[in-house]
Amino acid sequence: MLIELDGLFKTYEVGTQKVPALKNITIDVKETEYLAIMGPSGSGKSTLMNIIGCLDIPTEGSYRLKGREVGTLDDDELAEIRSAEIGFVFQTFNLLPRMTAFQNVELPLIYGRASRKGRSDRVWETIDAVGLKERAHHRPSELSGGQRQRVAIARALINRPSIILADEPTGNLDSTTGEEIMQIFRQLNNAGNTIILVTHEQYIAEHARRIVKLLDGEVASDTTA
Amino acid sequence: MEFRETLLTSLRTLSSHKMRSLLTMLGIVIGAGALVAVMSLIAGLNQSVAAQFQSIGTDIISVSRYPWVQMGDSDEFRRRKNITIADAEAVGRLPSVGLMAPNIHTRRNISYGGETVRFTLVTGSTPEYETIDNYLVENGRFITRIDVERHRASAVLGSEIAEELFPVRDPIGRKVKVGGKQFTVIGVMKEKGDILGESLDALVIIPISTFEKAFGSRRSVVIDCSPEEGVSMSRTIEEIRQILRIRRKVPRGDPDNFAINTQSDLLSSYNQITGVLYMAMVGIVGLALLVGGIGVMNVMLVSVAERTREIGVRKAIGARRADVTKQFLVEAIILTGLGGAIGILGGAALALLVRKVTPLPAAVTPTAVAIAAAFALIAGVLFGVYPATRAGRLNPMEALRYE
Repeated sequence: MLIELDGLFKTYEVGTQKVPALKNITIDVKETEYLAIMGPSGSGKSTLMNIIGCLDIPTEGSYRLKGREVGTLDDDELAEIRSAEIGFVFQTFNLLPRMTAFQNVELPLIYGRASRKGRSDRVWETIDAVGLKERAHHRPSELSGGQRQRVAIARALINRPSIILADEPTGNLDSTTGEEIMQIFRQLNNAGNTIILVTHEQYIAEHARRIVKLLDGEVASDTTA
Repeated sequence: MEFRETLLTSLRTLSSHKMRSLLTMLGIVIGAGALVAVMSLIAGLNQSVAAQFQSIGTDIISVSRYPWVQMGDSDEFRRRKNITIADAEAVGRLPSVGLMAPNIHTRRNISYGGETVRFTLVTGSTPEYETIDNYLVENGRFITRIDVERHRASAVLGSEIAEELFPVRDPIGRKVKVGGKQFTVIGVMKEKGDILGESLDALVIIPISTFEKAFGSRRSVVIDCSPEEGVSMSRTIEEIRQILRIRRKVPRGDPDNFAINTQSDLLSSYNQITGVLYMAMVGIVGLALLVGGIGVMNVMLVSVAERTREIGVRKAIGARRADVTKQFLVEAIILTGLGGAIGILGGAALALLVRKVTPLPAAVTPTAVAIAAAFALIAGVLFGVYPATRAGRLNPMEALRYE
């Protein structure tokens, strides 16, 4: 099993008040799954994504990634896991503006301490896979929204992570471009990548093979197409 | 993250904010520049002063009513009794004293034909003065025992005076007027140069006996002497002190009412003064670098805040705390290091300019450069650590949400 969430709680403290964001979440995700996490804003889907992405840790319960308990790790250990196992794709792309597309894609390799030898080949290969070879030396500001998201996907893929976590990846794109991006995710999943998609749009969620719906921090439904 | 990548990232960031980076560096540039410039000037000054002091003669002991460097109660100085020729002779008879030359001084106009050099130093002394005070005769001869015994109106000219009065003609044998009295030029001395800005060549030396006859005998005498061969400076000085205390009736326990000056005393009081100046300068520059460093810290904090989201992204894609901290620290060090380098070059250029346009032989010393560089780098580390640590500790989730 790739991801095992067991009795997961996340509570935020706002002043003296405790605000529960996730309540007793128990979900398993197998390798090569294509899962969408759905729910209205405030349902806890972002919190869940942050925990699965190792950006945050649960207050209670257990999260095992590839059999390893994540909830007790420190900052740097979490960073190692993000580096090796997680590829993020964000709604607002989050590319570094002063770097070219090529450099943006290369960055996870550098943080992952990949040796310089062969690094450039791997970047080219990955950029080619998202169809951006011609734009590789352009900065994000010189690229269209769709192109930026392709760069972000290449960046997420470069370290060959176990999970690709996409947070509203089409939220800032027009519907045609959004559809193109969703096609890329489909191909990636067909090629054996595990994808977790966070969205509030039903038609985007329907690209996934399994949909988990959250409501008020709890799992409301878990359906596999 | 490899250092090369960290360095490239930092350089990229800094060059994308060129104006801000330059302004941030300015404080460090000025601090480091001032440090190098001032240390170079002081080093140059020291070099030239040390060379000047050599020209006095290294083992001369000069006894006078006042010390060369006066610190303290000047009223007490003024009440002191004159030193007499008899005092000088008594000193001369001490077994520890080798050569001795009493000398007295006044200022008079000196003229030849239509030329007059006003208010020139006139020194009355004995033949020993030539050796003790390191005056070499270039042309003619120095005053002799016979000149002194017979009260001859003979004069030896300093090179500067000779040049002024006799730009073309050979001065030897010519009659000059010193303070209205006629003297025959018997010699011209070799150029000695300056000491602390005062020429050692603008003087006339005449026999001490003639001096007293012509200008009076009520001046205090200066006793220049050197230790006997094989006798230490300190022993000679002690013997001179004892005999003068007795002769001048200084009560036991009272301080000396005369001064025994040596070149090394002068050099050490000079070094004391420049040493204080030096430390004060280093302090001021340290302060300047501190202010510059605070400027760097301020800008780094702004930069961390501005780039919160970038830090979040970097962490999300695998950057560890240390990767982020290192990046910001390197940025701070590049800022201060580059500022330091520019300052050092500027300061050195200033020093060399001074050397070119003034007589001061300003010398850029490796010490000055090393201190400035060290100060700049330390400022970078010191003031970079806090913003960098703060950047490294940012929570990635919150950083990503930052607008």
